[in-house]
Amino acid sequence: MADGPKPSSSVKLVLLGEAAVGKSSLVLRFVNDDFQENREPTIGAAFLTQKCNLPSRTIKFEIWDTAGQERFASLAPMYYRNAQSALVVYDLTKASSLAKAKHWVAELQRQASPGIVIALVGNKLDLTNQSTGLEGSMGGLSLSAAASDGDEEEEEEGDARQITTAEAKSYADEEGLLFFETSAKTGHNVQEVFTAIANAIPESTLKTRGGPGSGRTGGGAAGDTFGGSGGVNLSAVGETNKDGCAC
Amino acid sequence: MLSLSSLISKASSLIDPNILPPSLLNQVNGSSNDGQTPAVLFRSNFRLPDSENPLAVIPCELSLPTGEHYFGRLHLSESFLCFSSSAPSSAAGAGSSSSSTAGPPSCGFTLPLVAIRRVERLHSRSYLFALAVTTWHNDQKLTLQFNSLRSTCEKFCEALKKNLRSQMSEMKNLRMLVGSCYSEWLVTGGKSKDGAKEEPDAGLGMVWRYPGDAKKLRDRSKMRLWAEYLRENGRNITLIRQPTFHKLIRVGLPNRLRGEVWELTSGSLYRRLYNPTLYTDTLTEFSGRHSLSIDEIEKDLNRSLPEYPGFQSEEGIGRLRRVLSAYSWRNPDIGYCQAMNIVVAALLIYMSETQAFFLLSTLCDRLVPGYYSQTMYGTLLDQRVFESLVEKTMPILWEHLVKSDVQLSVVSLPWFLSLFINSMPLVFAFRVLDVFFLEGPKVLFQVGLAILRINGEELLDVTDDGAFISCLKNYFLRLDESAHPRSDNEKLRAVTRFQELMVVAFREFSGITEQTITDQRIKHKDGVLSSIESFAKRTTLRNLGPESKRLATNDLGYIYDRFYKVLYERQERLAAIELEKERLNEKKVMSSARSISEKSINEKGRIGLGPSSQLMDYDYFREFLAGVAKWAIADSPSQLFSPSLGASLEPQWGGNGRKKSINLSPWGDNAEPADHEFMQRLFRRWDTDYRSGLSLQDVVAGLAGIKGKKDIMESISYFFELYDDDGDGKIDREGILKISEALLFITRRGWETPPNIGDQNRSGEGKGGTDPFLGSVSGFIRRCFEYADPDQQGRQEEVSTGVEGMDELVDLLDLASDDEDGESVKSPVKEKGVMKEKQKDEDMEQKDSLDLDANTKPSAMSANIALDPANPLHITLPTFRMIVLADEVLEYFFETGFADSIVLSTDGSKTPSGRNFPAGTSAFGNLGGGGIAGAKGLRGVLDNIVNDGMRVAQEVRRRMDEAQKELERNAVPGKYKEDEEDEGDAKSIMEGDRDLLKGAEASVVDDAAKLAIKTGLPEDDAASGTLLGSPTSSMATTHVGEELRTPSTPMPTRVEFEMDK
Repeated sequence: MADGPKPSSSVKLVLLGEAAVGKSSLVLRFVNDDFQENREPTIGAAFLTQKCNLPSRTIKFEIWDTAGQERFASLAPMYYRNAQSALVVYDLTKASSLAKAKHWVAELQRQASPGIVIALVGNKLDLTNQSTGLEGSMGGLSLSAAASDGDEEEEEEGDARQITTAEAKSYADEEGLLFFETSAKTGHNVQEVFTAIANAIPESTLKTRGGPGSGRTGGGAAGDTFGGSGGVNLSAVGETNKDGCAC
Repeated sequence: MLSLSSLISKASSLIDPNILPPSLLNQVNGSSNDGQTPAVLFRSNFRLPDSENPLAVIPCELSLPTGEHYFGRLHLSESFLCFSSSAPSSAAGAGSSSSSTAGPPSCGFTLPLVAIRRVERLHSRSYLFALAVTTWHNDQKLTLQFNSLRSTCEKFCEALKKNLRSQMSEMKNLRMLVGSCYSEWLVTGGKSKDGAKEEPDAGLGMVWRYPGDAKKLRDRSKMRLWAEYLRENGRNITLIRQPTFHKLIRVGLPNRLRGEVWELTSGSLYRRLYNPTLYTDTLTEFSGRHSLSIDEIEKDLNRSLPEYPGFQSEEGIGRLRRVLSAYSWRNPDIGYCQAMNIVVAALLIYMSETQAFFLLSTLCDRLVPGYYSQTMYGTLLDQRVFESLVEKTMPILWEHLVKSDVQLSVVSLPWFLSLFINSMPLVFAFRVLDVFFLEGPKVLFQVGLAILRINGEELLDVTDDGAFISCLKNYFLRLDESAHPRSDNEKLRAVTRFQELMVVAFREFSGITEQTITDQRIKHKDGVLSSIESFAKRTTLRNLGPESKRLATNDLGYIYDRFYKVLYERQERLAAIELEKERLNEKKVMSSARSISEKSINEKGRIGLGPSSQLMDYDYFREFLAGVAKWAIADSPSQLFSPSLGASLEPQWGGNGRKKSINLSPWGDNAEPADHEFMQRLFRRWDTDYRSGLSLQDVVAGLAGIKGKKDIMESISYFFELYDDDGDGKIDREGILKISEALLFITRRGWETPPNIGDQNRSGEGKGGTDPFLGSVSGFIRRCFEYADPDQQGRQEEVSTGVEGMDELVDLLDLASDDEDGESVKSPVKEKGVMKEKQKDEDMEQKDSLDLDANTKPSAMSANIALDPANPLHITLPTFRMIVLADEVLEYFFETGFADSIVLSTDGSKTPSGRNFPAGTSAFGNLGGGGIAGAKGLRGVLDNIVNDGMRVAQEVRRRMDEAQKELERNAVPGKYKEDEEDEGDAKSIMEGDRDLLKGAEASVVDDAAKLAIKTGLPEDDAASGTLLGSPTSSMATTHVGEELRTPSTPMPTRVEFEMDK
């Protein structure tokens, strides 16, 4: 995929959200373009990588897919430390999952690296009425506003949707988050989420490397040492990224 | 042969038991070790249920029907007879791939007493003391030859006899259990006395096949070896563990026996034996009920080992659902944690639902404690332990990981949490589990370390998390490949990477013992818990809800700390008090019951350990308030609660010589909180969910309601609502009086008065008459009655009479205000009161003809005509507001004084000290005497006020008759009743509450007593237990020696006791 002289850099991305909202499925769709109906719940966290080609550069996502169950929350800092971007996922068909997503956003805003790019993602669009037909037409859209506009009109009966686009969108705007509604099952909007994140990462936080494929991780924090790292350190989270760009 | 063995026995008995090889057994008898009590160690060594305690131990030689002999110790508990050989037996092949001194004892058994058919005293040699034990499986006869003083032997036998008898009733359970064991079917060939039987359930694998290629796993030959072993050494409940047993497990269990051997080696079999219907009962009891855990389980059912065909079927899913649900009901503190689904799914391939249910609880309680708890502290703790072991054993690799900022736990956490089941291919994960259940949690560490060791070189090239993870992922995928593919040696080529892993794990890391793990866990526990707690605090504070925004962040932090401090300290204290009570009540029983309770005390009391109870009941609430508001501290540390502690405790906390470090007051070292009607109202108001308990959120919202209000109007409304019981916007006469009492109660230690009246206030101290606040309050009452709206027409005049009546009292009481001596306060009051009372009694008699208590009841009330219930009146919020605002002092109180009376973090110096108030502050504290203080609530306040000299005059003036009543009746039981009926419904509910609280205390105490009886030994057993419990000393050995020399009278075969079942 990645070839030519384009600069390549690694970006650490973490997925957070309530259990069974489809975090792992989103990653699987993005990384392998695949979908499995019954995926084992993530224990602790799973790690995957995938490249994302932008016109000007290549971003290699190092994806930390975390466990969603409430009690795993205390492990999350281990995974989101040094993260430059985060996907906070909720389930469009489950009202409580947005509340949980809001907690995660708050947690990230206070505890994660400053300047972290956060995307709010409502998954399982396929279970709502507007799932079909939109797939093709939405391709290429990378910004939230466009994605949500199209969706709003079509809400009808028999819809499993519990969270309206408007509600989530207004929250995302308030907090300055990227916003998408996706379906990991159909693949709708999945690539777009990651592309949007790649675009939103400020240039200055990227450490460019000589060429693609090098085993060395750039990351924002490569050189930094964390106080007493190596411990199961829940409280110390990075003060690494110097750039505080809001997205 | 026999003489040789007796020689050996003699020799071994000469050895001091304390220098026997480092088996853990020494610790069983010795002193406790790092917080692990002997009983805990004993149970964990023999995998016994928590109800078992070491009652007696005796050195002994075990002779098996197969001809082997082992020296060791025989232990007796309530329902088990256990043996463990003391040295690695010479028979254990040193060449076996895995024998290690750190492993479990080379020979032993854990025999439920119910599985013993018969015990005979052998006559072989008269100077020897030997028993022949026939077990449930008739073909097996064990000979136990004791090496101890004859008297010790006899005592042991006595205890054994007693316990054997008490176990007879368990026979039915035993039959059921044995019938469900696959080994039974295997050995009897499916035939039993009752005719042919169905093959017992050996898991989903029977239908959907077991993972792996049976041929490649050599399942059939393994099965043959096991059948042979089981025939010779007993099976399921009567199995004897010989060195072969360990070897057979190390090479991997055969599919159909796997479940049962897991049960046996983990000890969950014994839980199942004694709770045969627990699983099905649980399912029945909770069928159709819902909980958060049930929802969470439902989400994961379809994603637990989804690639195994059994879990693509309704049957498999159903079993998984039932086991997980039943466990979540049985242990709601854990409920359900992801990873349990994977573990249980794996278990269900090899065992029945019931078996899996008990094995899961053994896992959660003993093998991986805290892994699946709410905070997952066990998981985090073991990660920390693992890291420190890596650092110790592989310093270079460790340094590299630190340098590269790779976090070890990102890879190792899933290993531990799901017991390698979703890290390794299933066949290999099950091999690890085989050893894990046999040898305990250290196996997880050994295997983990071995994985890193084997991949060490590659890992040194890795510089980020991602590469680290993929390196190990690759390794796991190639576990079945040859470890030395290029070797010339054919045998070496045949060694798989998995075999290599096992050898490295158990040989190279044989130094990692259970003790290592225990020590490391103790060492890191605090640090891990603290970091969990600071995380929990952060998250909790952020999610307290909108109300919390009205308080400052540091206030919230303070409330959080205070809340949990009170909660846990009090829990601990109450547990300690109960313990102490038990100990005093049943000294004999304590040795056993104590160890259990001690454990439970240690296991609670930290947020990091997960929730025990997160609600404060009223007493917790009082303690909480006493820490933030000085008015909530009692005036005189009363002995109120000592009766509930039992009189026997009093000398202890009175401070005699052997006082323990724990303060046994229910309030610990803290000041005793007051108990005022106002506090009860606050409690109920804050208890928004009517749970009779306050969550942190309730407390924060409650405090925000008081301290977060900047507006005086809000503050006034708050107070008003507090007293508007039925929410109709009206407060009746009684309510008005209660408000005034509350105002006096809150300010009785002084408050932040406005500058202009502050001086006055201070100088007026001691001279009750000049206290402006008191004046304001009496003014308040007067005005309230003046402006109150009558509930009915035509009562106006009587109300005003009431006011006059009060004035009259005011005059009368000038007498008292001059003299602050308690006695002289009381007596005039009494005198006047008696007169009044008589008069009133006459008045009231006609009115309350219906009421049985008519004579006593209304008199107090009607002492003041304004209080006459026959003249209902009320004030509304606007009236209340007007009256408050009419008085400068009151206005100031509602504006800032009330809010400021609760001191949170902002000003440390104002925070009331945790100690009892110095005597000076409550100089009058003892005036009223303990008796008056005994009346809580409304009357209690009154008494407090009486005690508080500077206010004596006005207060008594206001309600003199009642005070008088109180004094007169305070020794008479039933004064509560009087209150209750006097003051209508609201009041009676309150009294009810109080009784409830008291009742709760009493029942807690009761339960504790019951617990002691249940867990403790019957007296006799305890006595013999202590006698037999002491290990034989060198003294004892000499005696044995003497006995050997002294020919005693020959004894005919005598059946000492026999239990034919």
